[in-house]
Amino acid sequence: MAGAELEILKGITLEIKSGETVAIVGASGSGKSTLLGLLAGLDEASGGRVDIDDVQLSALDEDGRARVRAEKVGFVFQSFQLLPALTALENVMLPLELNGQDDARALAEHYLGRVELAARMDHYPRQMSGGEQQRVAIARAFAARPAILFADEPTGNLDTRTGAHIVDLLFELNREEGTTLVLVTHDQVLADRCQRRLRLDAGALVGE
Amino acid sequence: MSMTATRMLARDWRGGELGILVAALVLAVGLVSGISAFTTRLQNALEMESHRFLAADLVVRGGHELPAAWLQEARGRGLSTARILMFPSMVFAGDEDMYLASVRAVSPQYPLRGELTYSATPFGDAAPARRGPGAGEVWLDSRLFPLLDVQVGDSVAIGEASFRVAAAARTEPDTASSFYGYGPRLLMHYDDIPATGVVQPGSRVEYRQLYAGDAVELQAFRQWLEPRLQDGQSVLDVDEGQPGIASALQRAESFLLLAGSLAVVLAGVAVALAARRFSERHTDYVAILKSLGATSGRINRLYGSSLLLLGALATLAGCALGWGLQALFFELFGAQLPLQPGPAGLRPYAVGSATSLVCLLCFAWPPLRRLGLASPLRVLRRDMPQENRRTLSDYAVGFAAVSALMLWYSQDWRLTLAVLAGLALTGALGLLLALTLLRGGRLLGMSAGSIWRLALAGLQRRGAANALQVVIFAMAIMLLLVLLLVRTSLIDEWQMQLPEDTPNHFMINIGPQDVQGIEQALRAQDIASEPLYPMIRGRIMSVNGQELLQTDDKTVDRRQRESNFTWSDALPPDNRVVAGQWWEPGTDQALVSLEEEYAQRMGVEVGDRIGFLVGSEALQVTVASIRRLDWQSMRPNFFLVFPPRLLADYPATFMTSFHLDSADKVFLNTFIRRFPTVTVIEMDIVIDQIRTIIRQVSAAVELVLGVILAAGALVLVAGVQASVDARMHESAILRALGARRRLVLGGLLIEFAALGLFAGMLATLAAELSVYILQTQAMDMQYSPSPWLWPLGLCSGMLLIAALGVFSCRRVVSTPPVAVLREL
Repeated sequence: MAGAELEILKGITLEIKSGETVAIVGASGSGKSTLLGLLAGLDEASGGRVDIDDVQLSALDEDGRARVRAEKVGFVFQSFQLLPALTALENVMLPLELNGQDDARALAEHYLGRVELAARMDHYPRQMSGGEQQRVAIARAFAARPAILFADEPTGNLDTRTGAHIVDLLFELNREEGTTLVLVTHDQVLADRCQRRLRLDAGALVGE
Repeated sequence: MSMTATRMLARDWRGGELGILVAALVLAVGLVSGISAFTTRLQNALEMESHRFLAADLVVRGGHELPAAWLQEARGRGLSTARILMFPSMVFAGDEDMYLASVRAVSPQYPLRGELTYSATPFGDAAPARRGPGAGEVWLDSRLFPLLDVQVGDSVAIGEASFRVAAAARTEPDTASSFYGYGPRLLMHYDDIPATGVVQPGSRVEYRQLYAGDAVELQAFRQWLEPRLQDGQSVLDVDEGQPGIASALQRAESFLLLAGSLAVVLAGVAVALAARRFSERHTDYVAILKSLGATSGRINRLYGSSLLLLGALATLAGCALGWGLQALFFELFGAQLPLQPGPAGLRPYAVGSATSLVCLLCFAWPPLRRLGLASPLRVLRRDMPQENRRTLSDYAVGFAAVSALMLWYSQDWRLTLAVLAGLALTGALGLLLALTLLRGGRLLGMSAGSIWRLALAGLQRRGAANALQVVIFAMAIMLLLVLLLVRTSLIDEWQMQLPEDTPNHFMINIGPQDVQGIEQALRAQDIASEPLYPMIRGRIMSVNGQELLQTDDKTVDRRQRESNFTWSDALPPDNRVVAGQWWEPGTDQALVSLEEEYAQRMGVEVGDRIGFLVGSEALQVTVASIRRLDWQSMRPNFFLVFPPRLLADYPATFMTSFHLDSADKVFLNTFIRRFPTVTVIEMDIVIDQIRTIIRQVSAAVELVLGVILAAGALVLVAGVQASVDARMHESAILRALGARRRLVLGGLLIEFAALGLFAGMLATLAAELSVYILQTQAMDMQYSPSPWLWPLGLCSGMLLIAALGVFSCRRVVSTPPVAVLREL
């Protein structure tokens, strides 16, 4: 590895408009997750720039990007990424608390109700099925009312039926909240429900 | 910020993540404060016990009457006081019988510490006395009864006064520190002295003032007193009173401090291991928090305040544990200790709390602080390397913290240095091992074909982590070995010092005409005795022709002084020539052999010429050799030994020492009647007292060793736990791929055994170094190599680590691999 530089993404220029739903598709190793990480400000690019609204992410350090994530960005992950030590309610409250919102609890309860988990609020992730955990994750993502929501293979760890239900929920909430949605997926059905599809191949954007 | 540290802690607690860290901290504080309180209480008790040997907490002595104002001052400070006057005097009974006795006149308050015993008849059952003889009464040493041919109720005369014999004097607590004259003892009332008229200005007497009371007041009084002491007046310390006891106590104290210091190190290691594991397990947690927008500053505040809160709670719990531990000790073993444990005060808990703070700051915080640097990208890619790898500065901080804590705790830099040297050696060897493992070139794959190759590949693949683990194991094992070694040599040395048949009686003033008769008498009674040594008294006058100063000032090293000489063709047993050579038997050269410290004080070396005055004759000799000898052997020992021919013409008396069981003491009566000019010094009471102390100290040492062993075992468990995740992961994958139970467990067994063996090797080497420094520098003992150390170190390392490792990973073969993988 020393000596040979590895180029993961090449010459990608793209603009995503507010409220748009975009799917990033491509084979394993094509650079989908890397692109998502950069767009969401989870990662630092070695070159180029990423802007969210008027903020130039690539000019910020990690703490600056963290603030942008807290204000504008929401996530839904393939492996749910709930904190095992927290109950469903506490997990949803977490980003609200980080934002210093006073009505964290009420908001969290509202969104948990919205994903039909009002009865499971005090349960821990390990007491829930994969689909339920992902619904908690969706509630958490929307509760912070982000401008843009990134989803990384949101159905990857779920069976087809549960996956379909999650996707319905995701798009439903997206419509209601007017959030921008960027998702990475292998799932053609899911990709087809987005307004735009970006195809990556070996780090390059090969078409929409 | 509504997400307070408390809530996060509570959540972590529910999630079980905090258990290990809290346990390590509580244990650390508990062990340190517990051992500290334990040793403090024991030290206090031992100190009290040692005060018994002085019959007071503080004793001042002088050759002339001591100012009564001192007693008043002491009483004004709330201290209790007593007076003693000691002098040799002839005691008369009837018209014919008289004997030179060692008289002790005591005030009614005597003794302030310890117990005075008497019996109604000579050699009868001893009972504790509330006070000494009343006015007009005397108590006689049992042996004086037959010598003076008196019974209880008869009267005896000292000087111009006569006294009624009221009882037999049996034991005084301060016998050991008060050989004044060598005759049998006689106790009388202090106020009766003027009536006897025997104490005149210039008489050979020793006055003592005894003080006892509150330690703080006593210290203040001592500070008041010391500047007022004049020539010939001095404070009597326990050390002076009984060097054997003082050194036993001092070494025991060193040992207990060492044990406590090791507890500090072990605690530090345990906390560091636990914090590391905690932070590793929290990396994902932090990544999620960061993906949700938490900044690194916020993460640090969160974990920092959690840690503080946790530290406070753990410290409280730890202090409670420490208190409980030592209370339990004394509850369980108090009955076996013949002395009352003293108070511990608050210092042990302050030490425990400080340990906790240092552990938190220097061991727990560095890995947690780096949590703030964890990349949020881990939410997308769990295989990202963790950011909380330890850096060199972490180790430096940890090492410095341990050093400072140990130094503060033991207040003995040599002791600290000895342990640190061992730790440093362990670290250096561990680094070497890591380099060797990593440089060897990577074996391909997991080599899962055979158990051995699997284990070897495993060892190499995690080279750096393994080396670190070996170092941690080695440290724990080393500390335990050090403690075990020191404890063993300490107790061995104590036991060797006073074996069962230690001579407990000295016989002096044996005239040449009695030598044969006494040898026969001892043989007839089957009493094992040392040879009879001739004894000549003389004065050292000059060194290399230079006249020495004639003064009584004991601070002057090179002064004229009286000494007892002996002569011998053979090197006395227990003596070792450290410079020069012992002479040929039968030599007629004018030579002398000096004791090491005596020679040092006089500034004399082999080859120097010394002038003596024996009787009225001058004698010039050359120093032929310098000897080291064991003053605690209870055998006749001499500063100066001459060749026999040189002193053959000078008048000599003889001395010897022998062992007499208490049941056979009646023999002394017939013996003394047969050889009335001989003086017998009874040391049996003193020796019994020393034995008692040593038994108590040994018990304490064993107890502390036990606790530290348990702490060490816990560190080993924590060390194994720290590596279990990675090994479980690999093993689960192997299982998933169809590896048999035997292969997986066998591979783990061999891998852990190899780590244990390495650790044992490092530990043994480092322990040797530490113990060498400890014994030669810190504890004033002889270094003796222990051949059992190597097999013990290697085997215990290998077996313990292998057993712990396999035990911790056993679930991997009993649980479906998917379940194992999901948990990690």
